[in-house]
Amino acid sequence: MTAPGAEPLPAYCAGLSELQKQVLDDTPYVHFLGLKVSREDDGTTCYQLCFREEHIGNPLLRTFHGGILASFGEVVASLHVLEEAGMQQQPLCTSLTFDYLRPAFSGTIRAVPRVVRSGRRFIVVSVDIFLDKSHVSTGRFIYAR
Amino acid sequence: MIAQSEVANRYLTMAKTFFGTSHPLFNAFGIEIDEIGKGRAVMRMPCSVALSDRHGGLHRGVVVTLLDTSCGLAIFSRLGDMRPIATIDLRVDFIREALPGEDVRAEVECYAMQGDIAYVRGKAVVCQDDALLASVSGSFAVGTLGPAFDTTATKGTE
Repeated sequence: MTAPGAEPLPAYCAGLSELQKQVLDDTPYVHFLGLKVSREDDGTTCYQLCFREEHIGNPLLRTFHGGILASFGEVVASLHVLEEAGMQQQPLCTSLTFDYLRPAFSGTIRAVPRVVRSGRRFIVVSVDIFLDKSHVSTGRFIYAR
Repeated sequence: MIAQSEVANRYLTMAKTFFGTSHPLFNAFGIEIDEIGKGRAVMRMPCSVALSDRHGGLHRGVVVTLLDTSCGLAIFSRLGDMRPIATIDLRVDFIREALPGEDVRAEVECYAMQGDIAYVRGKAVVCQDDALLASVSGSFAVGTLGPAFDTTATKGTE
């Protein structure tokens, strides 16, 4: 189910940089995840992931696997870094810290990334993941330039 | 009292049933269990083009997924059953990226249990030469929402 007012999403849409498109196109795991990228009316980028059987962590509760949530967060963080920090090449993720706040039941989850600090050598990005209005997890990712 | 090896074998069989045959994610990843017992779990998965990054090695998100799964199994083996658990937090340091063709093995131990919280730490290495790829530490809540995996796994119902 998509958010009210959202268009059916292509894998990516206009407004992304060439490098972002390349990263999306050339990363098989992004295709496996089924990441959707679109633009909101206000110009912000919207990152979504629709639940699939291959995302299951707990098959009895049908929740997203913690590793899939962290993967989604990291892919979004790295795309956001390309956009915000004006990188010429994909930065290297050196570490991630991920907090699981609530069970992420099957549905469409949405990631909201934010650059915490963009330094000369390192960039710290936080990503919040929501299922509808519910805040299901939050992650912090460190990238080396 | 059952011997430790017998317990380990029982859980290895149970976990293999649960993790190996019916779980869509573990099937897609090709995850296999090498070792389980005494609070320790070792799992591995082959390099796969479908799960790779731009350079053809396993994507770091895949490595995190393998590590998270191994953390869960290590906790089950310390508990001696498969009651529901949930990741509270996970920290992964990436030492280097996996290269094309490199299979990955995760080795995790549940080193402490306090109240309803289990603490884990471990690493991901290259199967072929044991090169260190990533380290993990985290904590899990034990006895969370939902039915236990082993009762349902043995009965084969959902």
